[in-house]
Amino acid sequence: MTTRLQRVFLLVTAGAVALGLGIGVAVWDRNPPDATALLALSLPDTQGTPQSLRQWRGKVLVVNFWATWCGPCREEMPEFVRAQRELGPKGLQFVGIAVDQRDKVVQFAKELDLNYPALIGGYDAVELSKPLGNRLAALPFTVIFDREGRIAHTQLGLLKPAQLRSIVANLL
Amino acid sequence: MAMAEKRRRGAFLGLVAATLAATLPALAQVNPLPPEKAFRFSARLVDAQTVEARFTIADGYYLYRDKIHFAIEPAAVGLTVPRLPEGKVKEDQFFGRVETYRGGVVVNLAVKDPQPGQQIVIAAESQGCADIGICYPPTVQRVTLAVPAGSVVPHASDPPQKRWFN
Repeated sequence: MTTRLQRVFLLVTAGAVALGLGIGVAVWDRNPPDATALLALSLPDTQGTPQSLRQWRGKVLVVNFWATWCGPCREEMPEFVRAQRELGPKGLQFVGIAVDQRDKVVQFAKELDLNYPALIGGYDAVELSKPLGNRLAALPFTVIFDREGRIAHTQLGLLKPAQLRSIVANLL
Repeated sequence: MAMAEKRRRGAFLGLVAATLAATLPALAQVNPLPPEKAFRFSARLVDAQTVEARFTIADGYYLYRDKIHFAIEPAAVGLTVPRLPEGKVKEDQFFGRVETYRGGVVVNLAVKDPQPGQQIVIAAESQGCADIGICYPPTVQRVTLAVPAGSVVPHASDPPQKRWFN
């Protein structure tokens, strides 16, 4: 009798632990609901001209927070350049927000033949990514919006080429 | 019967453990350490004019040598920062030769003009990354230290006696 009770107790415990972990992971992975502040943003490009993120409404928008001092950021950017070239005509638009100084960004953009806007955000820009799930304000951090401006994906750390292509393919 | 029961319970616990083991790395992946934990800064007074400053770097994280800066508050106290120990050299395509620290780094800072009993703050700025492929913006950590009230502080340029008349 006791053993059966114990077994039930263990089952319930195991179930509760698994459920708890599942909910924990789900909450962790859940996309943040609102990106109004980010989309309302206007930042200077490398020429110093203010650019509003709203101008790309209707496109599948990939906003990438990066910096020249961030090795992993620079590592994934050649793939962004490729994707912009190949899928830009289908409605894909990359926008980089550099948590960095203008001169460094200009130099790197030239080296990479960057074919999408690099907006200069300075160190404060990363704060904008915090409400979108980037609690630690770390880089790279990427937000993918669908054509209606809804967040389809957020990613802290490298976005693998295959992963990027599959997410974007579903939205284009 | 008791044996079978025990074995079954063992299997249950094993299942729970396996679930945990399978989930934790995933959590670690999406939940990297905050910079002040990944690059924990501490400082202590070795004597009235020497602060031992230390970064303790968590496994899987590294700091850039040229991004480490120290300051003292109040600034009037003055701080001399020696050359930092050599780090591990890495060739960076954009920045060229860069040096990084793993595990930790310790440096002795010289406090120029501390007053006995004074509170001083060591502000340490650092910037680093994690092997999982993320980098943190520059972070400043502060440690408050009390210069011992009874400490005799020799002055670098003035004769030591002068301090007694101040």
